[in-house]
Amino acid sequence: MKGTSLELDGVSVQYGNTTALEAVSLSISAGERVGLVGPSGSGKTTLLRLLNGSVLPDQGDVHVSGSPLYTLSRTDLRRVRASIGFVYQDHRLVPNLQVSQNVIAGQLGRVSLLKSLRMMLFPSRVMVEKAHEILCRVGIGEKLFERTDHLSGGQQQRVAIARALFQEPQVLLADEPVSSVDPARAKDAVELLTRISREENLTLVMSLHNLDLAREYCERLIGLRRGRIVFDEPTSSIQESHFSELYRIGEGEMLADGA
Amino acid sequence: MILCLMIAFVWAYSHLGLRGEDLHPSSGGLKVLGEFAARALTPALTSEADFVPEGTRPLLYIALSSARTTLFFAAAGMSLGLFLGIVLGFFSSTSWWAGDFGGVRRSSPSRILGRVLFPVLYGGSRVIINLMRSTHEVLWAVLFLTAFGLSNTAAVLAIAIPYGGTLAKIFSEMVDETTREPAHALRGAGASGLQTYSFALVPQALPDMIGYSFYRFECALRSSAILGFFGFPTLGLFIRQSFSSLNYGEVWTFLYVLLGMVLIFDWWSGAVRRRLAP
Ligand SMILES: Nc1ncnc2c1ncn2[C@@H]1O[C@H](COP(=O)(O)OP(=O)(O)OP(=O)(O)O)[C@@H](O)[C@H]1O
Ligand SMILES: [Mg+2]
Repeated sequence: MKGTSLELDGVSVQYGNTTALEAVSLSISAGERVGLVGPSGSGKTTLLRLLNGSVLPDQGDVHVSGSPLYTLSRTDLRRVRASIGFVYQDHRLVPNLQVSQNVIAGQLGRVSLLKSLRMMLFPSRVMVEKAHEILCRVGIGEKLFERTDHLSGGQQQRVAIARALFQEPQVLLADEPVSSVDPARAKDAVELLTRISREENLTLVMSLHNLDLAREYCERLIGLRRGRIVFDEPTSSIQESHFSELYRIGEGEMLADGA
Repeated sequence: MILCLMIAFVWAYSHLGLRGEDLHPSSGGLKVLGEFAARALTPALTSEADFVPEGTRPLLYIALSSARTTLFFAAAGMSLGLFLGIVLGFFSSTSWWAGDFGGVRRSSPSRILGRVLFPVLYGGSRVIINLMRSTHEVLWAVLFLTAFGLSNTAAVLAIAIPYGGTLAKIFSEMVDETTREPAHALRGAGASGLQTYSFALVPQALPDMIGYSFYRFECALRSSAILGFFGFPTLGLFIRQSFSSLNYGEVWTFLYVLLGMVLIFDWWSGAVRRRLAP
């Protein structure tokens, strides 16, 4: 089976006094390509992080492929997480490791400690070739043995994508995959993620600030505003008015945001 | 904070009744000091004893072989200490388990693991490393000498235990101070706590950990030399013997050998650190 379904069921997330998400329910079926849009602070990152079990919801449940994420045992949670690739806004690579090591680290969730030691310190030829192949696919094959923090922001982002792919995931989650690159590359990165998810039939959920890109590459868009879902529709039925509603500045909001 | 420190200082100062006049030494003492200092530039190359028994090894041989013993004790103590430091350091850092949600909504063993076992291991290892650290290696030496007599094991343990505790404390702090985002990312991709510790947290702290270990090795050389005062055949033993027989030239020879060893290590650790720098 390729692709995995994702489900949020009345989920609320609270950070101290801030409500990041409030009673959010949605269901994404296997192989869907979904865009998350919404103003800054609307809860996009929080929603994505819920989906791989790195934020604990105060209410509600998260299901991945039918399993309730937060009731799984540690071992089962590891297994589910191993099938979910996450491309972070800030990359989250280990800065002083080689690019190849960061990519190979994508598979840690699938191997024992002993095997992972060998894999990280003395990777087999097959491993390195596979990492190289994926890096070529994201366009930076020649950086295989460079130190990761010597790469530019855009290149590091590609390493992050390569790490997620090396994981051989069923689901790809991407948080603002375009924030650290110039507009032309932004399009490349989104294109790349969409192409890969189509080729391998992966479920793809990405948050995007760029509405044109969101419309062009996603088949379904979910609009978030102040932690609530404003719309959730196929891209074809999305109108300009949906977006203006989403980014409308509400009463007192300017003040609240400025504070 | 600074005020507290000043109050503590003034209090300690008046409590101990420190006064400059106390330092006025006896004229005899000054003379010894002068004689000792005078030999700084002319260390002995051969034995200065009035009577050298048949079969006594030459001075330089003694200096170098006791330097070797010093090095061996330091190396043995330090490697055992490193082992203890790495193992206890792992348990006394929080970054590899804090904030993970595995099994949080279960009333099962996996919940107990995260909520009870790890915090208990953490607390326990902190207590242990503080017990190890709070006693100086010289006091450990006295303790082990009483227990085991003048055996090499006693000397090695006396170094390994306090050093292991200190290394564990510093290692865990260095690891916990690194950025945790890469670790969270691997965690989110299914890596275990030990895996995130080994491949996301430790690599970032590793240059500092190596630099610090070199520094502690230098300290271990000095501690090992000092253990000679208790009769172990390290440089300290011969320094004490020569000093009490007033052969100051010999004392300087031994001191220079120790200094040389420390300098070599300092140079080596500098070279390694330069290689690890970004
Ligand atoms: N770790 C945290 N601690 C406290 N508050 C948080 C934390 N993470 C997010 N928040 C708050 O939760 C709300 C939603 O944040 P989130 O990061 O999900 O928004 P976002 O839509 O991703 O924003 P952006 O587009 O700027 O990335 C915000 O008000 C934010 O301040
Ligand atoms: Mg965000």
